[in-house]
Amino acid sequence: MSNPDTSFRAPPDTPVAMPRVRSFVGELPLLAFVLAACAGLIVFFTGNSFAQNLLATTFLFAALSTSWNIIGGLGGQFSLGHSVFFAFGAYIAARMHLDLGLSPWLALLPAALVAAAFAMLVSWPVFRLRGPFFAIATMAMTEVVLALAMYFSSITGGAQGLSIPFKAGLHNMIFRDRMSYAILMLCFLAVTLIVMAAVTRSRLGYQLRAVHDNEDTAEAAGIDVLRTKLVGMGISAALTAMGGVFFLMYVRVVDPPSLFSLFDIGVKIALIALIGGIGTIYGPLLGALLVVPLEGMLRAELGGMMPGSNLIVLGFILVLTAMYLRKGIAGTGTDLFARIRGGR
Amino acid sequence: MTELVNILAVGLLLGGIYALVSVGLNLIFGVIRIVNFAQGEFVMLGMYGAFAAQITLRLDPYVATVLVGPALFALGAFVYWVILRPLQGQPMMQVFATFGLLMILENTVLALTGGTAYSVNSGLTGYSVSFGPIQIGLPRVLVLTAATVVTLALGWYLKSTMHGKAIRAVAQDRNAARLMGVDVERIYMVSFGIGAALAGLAGCLLSPLYTMSPQIGMNFIMPAFAVVVLGGLGSVKGAYFGGLIVGLTEALAGFYLDPALKQAVLFLMFIIVLVVRPSGLFGTAGAEEVGLREQS
Repeated sequence: MSNPDTSFRAPPDTPVAMPRVRSFVGELPLLAFVLAACAGLIVFFTGNSFAQNLLATTFLFAALSTSWNIIGGLGGQFSLGHSVFFAFGAYIAARMHLDLGLSPWLALLPAALVAAAFAMLVSWPVFRLRGPFFAIATMAMTEVVLALAMYFSSITGGAQGLSIPFKAGLHNMIFRDRMSYAILMLCFLAVTLIVMAAVTRSRLGYQLRAVHDNEDTAEAAGIDVLRTKLVGMGISAALTAMGGVFFLMYVRVVDPPSLFSLFDIGVKIALIALIGGIGTIYGPLLGALLVVPLEGMLRAELGGMMPGSNLIVLGFILVLTAMYLRKGIAGTGTDLFARIRGGR
Repeated sequence: MTELVNILAVGLLLGGIYALVSVGLNLIFGVIRIVNFAQGEFVMLGMYGAFAAQITLRLDPYVATVLVGPALFALGAFVYWVILRPLQGQPMMQVFATFGLLMILENTVLALTGGTAYSVNSGLTGYSVSFGPIQIGLPRVLVLTAATVVTLALGWYLKSTMHGKAIRAVAQDRNAARLMGVDVERIYMVSFGIGAALAGLAGCLLSPLYTMSPQIGMNFIMPAFAVVVLGGLGSVKGAYFGGLIVGLTEALAGFYLDPALKQAVLFLMFIIVLVVRPSGLFGTAGAEEVGLREQS
């Protein structure tokens, strides 16, 4: 909400300093700075493979969460079923690599397109539902596709899963050192952040936010609500599927329960966005920088003694964020900044 | 013919389990309009409660209900008051909060038990009842009976007692109820407690049937969502019949299609119902769209 009396107080003829609408180009300097800082982290931890692993996972989840944020944050459609698109990407890349011997780089585009088409197709009926019902339906969708993935074991390898043979090389997207993976994931993060920034500052972004705030009002204002949601979901799913391709080449062993995992993928990427700041460009990155290393450390420190202790901590963070930090770190920070600058 | 009767019986008994688990979920939804993702964990806690009662007090799980039910009522009331009361009118934040609660409960039990699978014995396990050509274990019959009794009793309670009428008044219009002098916050707390206690009851009755694991709540919550959506959001009767329908569907799909596909069929049906008739068989039309908004 802008302050209602500032415009009233402005003298009518002097040129009023209108709050300039930030354009996509205006976002680029900050974007470059953020990415450079992330690259700095990689350089700082050179030679530390534990840290490089953690960074790779952090950047991957930051990127996935940024992708989710396009439809979940901007559009307010809280999908818990993004693991489906993630798994789509991984399986398309796996089949293209194992059956046709194609490079995973070539799988990125088909994976993105197929996942976007699938996402728009299944979302079309489900978008009639709002709020928690949409979330439940996406959860159910995960269960359906998981059951089908277990059943069609010729594609997915069934319960045994699939493994990608280790043939190092840039064209295979397989590397000996962990640092290369961290750089790879950072590049993917850069792509998602650029897309997110572009969407945020585009007509689609404003339409998505209008839909988020109030669907009926958005409809009345002439926004094609369904189309807006579908396009947002398509972009989000496409990026998530690309993440699946990178994940596959990173771990090289995948099975349906881990790819479709509700907690480790579907909920976690939504949680990271929530903690960082829903709907903000850099919120998911902040959330991932906080959550993923914390979880990794907890798992390493306490996993042996107390299984699941990392998830207990995540659960508490989730509850406390929902209660006290609804706008996340980024949203609360922006509010604070605006209040300090506004002088009251 | 016997085969079909057998499948139907299996489906009905499974449906009894789902109905018993779903009644509490639907009560919470209908009154407080909160989708409680942690409901399956309350069932899980009920099972472990029955186990604890057996270890320490040597109680039969069916007797343990008198301890576990009130304990979960207290837990539910506490959870509502501390976590969910501040989140009214924030449906998505409630989803996150109850999901966080799910993770906390599940993994706390995992950390405490170290993931060892436990099972509970009851004096009634060995008995079975025969209906015509088929034999059914007594514990399963008891679950179906309990589901029926709970549905009838809850229906009577909501319809005929003063307190039940207050609950229904709040569910219909919280502001009007408040103006009539109903303590809305207290009604919410009590309803959430009753919902949790019913889950605990279900947990006790199911404990002789399942090997316990901390993750078992997840096996109940997804079918329970399907039940609630199918039967009608907020309808106690809907939860009962929805449970039976889901149980029958699962049994039939498992037999005639493929056991591996029964989940897929179930949830596909669930999504279709959610999309075609989101209010369910017994629910109020439009609840899925307007019901979760803060009533102004």
